[in-house]
Amino acid sequence: MSKELVNAIADMREEDALRIVREMVESDSDPMTILDAAREAMAVVGQRYEEGTYFLPELMLAGEMLGQITEIVKPALAKAPEVTRYGKVVIGTVQGDIHDIGKNIVTFMLDVNGFAVLDLGVDVPPQKFVEAIRDFQPQVVGLSGFLTLAFDTMKETVDAIKEAGLRDGVKIMIGGGQVNEEIKAYTGADAYGRDAMAGVSLAKQWVGAK
Amino acid sequence: MQIIGEKINGTRKRVAQAIMERDSAFIQDLAIRQAEAGAAWLDVNAGTHPNREPDDLIWLVETIQPVVKVPLCLDSANPQALAAAIQVVQQTPMINSISGEPSRLEGILPLVAKHSCPVIALAMDERGIPETCEQRMAVVHKVMEATRAAGVPDEKVYVDPLAMTLATNTQAALITLDTIHAIRREFPNVHLTIGLSNISFGLPARSYINRVFLTLALQAGLDSAIIDPLDREMKAVLIAAELVLGRDRHCLNYTRAYRAGVFGK
Repeated sequence: MSKELVNAIADMREEDALRIVREMVESDSDPMTILDAAREAMAVVGQRYEEGTYFLPELMLAGEMLGQITEIVKPALAKAPEVTRYGKVVIGTVQGDIHDIGKNIVTFMLDVNGFAVLDLGVDVPPQKFVEAIRDFQPQVVGLSGFLTLAFDTMKETVDAIKEAGLRDGVKIMIGGGQVNEEIKAYTGADAYGRDAMAGVSLAKQWVGAK
Repeated sequence: MQIIGEKINGTRKRVAQAIMERDSAFIQDLAIRQAEAGAAWLDVNAGTHPNREPDDLIWLVETIQPVVKVPLCLDSANPQALAAAIQVVQQTPMINSISGEPSRLEGILPLVAKHSCPVIALAMDERGIPETCEQRMAVVHKVMEATRAAGVPDEKVYVDPLAMTLATNTQAALITLDTIHAIRREFPNVHLTIGLSNISFGLPARSYINRVFLTLALQAGLDSAIIDPLDREMKAVLIAAELVLGRDRHCLNYTRAYRAGVFGK
């Protein structure tokens, strides 16, 4: 059943996937088996996206399916699912910018690659990043922005993290638009990524994951 | 139909490199080819960070101006960069862009009014791009109130109803088309332009989507677009669509373009 589920999700057969999940829940399958299958399928989707076989709509649908599956499985879960994660990432589009597609792709790819990701959304003020770092305690912070004006708020955000005394505890990566070495230096971030997989590689490298 | 040539944009890798290296020949070539392909305006976007954006934008303007007669469309959200570049332009530039965002209205609209520039007005505000046609129209009303109050005539405003990618919402194009209809109805004297290619972001073989969307948008009332004038297929679709829509007297634009080799059989 769970192999069937992996394939249904990975092949974008939404109805089949949800039917299989319901059947598994009704036949008292371990909810963790279902969630593991879903995660395995997400990794396949991420892989296909990376290869250029899948595109943005498939990522969106995969995310939707995962949400629906989690909803179905939730009542059967005695406790919150425990997942082995490489590490934690706080991510958001910085204040003054509302572009979110790139950030959402990075979030998805980090998630399927084994990171716990806290997505703060768009137009996120520096202080909100600072609070999230305190509460969530990530190893990695991702600042996203497409507009050139976002580079200023990226810098302000990095400064705010520094002022809060949290800078040494996190690695900061920036992405979006035309970020480059110069922008990285300007904002005071540790690195920049040109695409979602670059972000994943950076995060993995920083937390010492393979 | 006014084409705003989109190619000189620092968010494109190769252009960013040319800006950094001050490669005038590369930029001038892009300008000349777009002008020859019939662009009515050349969009100029430095795309660099705000500290150096004024210098980069001035360099772009001074590099492009000597080689083309086409006016420029200065593209930045940064009032300082726009104010600096306006000082060096020889022909009145279009400004890209204002929106319902108070900081843009306060920072950029006075420049537009002072220099009598045409201006692109985005149907969005500080909360982002509204989901529905009604909400976008509410923003357009707010922006038009501001441009009128500043003394900018409606004919100088190019409203951009905004296209979001179909990849994340398959109703996205319909929302934009509805908004174009509504703007045409409520503000008959404004121009309507659009950054067309957003519609297909994240999808493969984007040119088919872009061309169909352009055709439908023209029918809805679009009279300008921010596109790549060097895209021959797009040009062919544009000219053919205008003919089909009764905007090409005696079919002359179409037959002339054919004779000039803009498109083939």
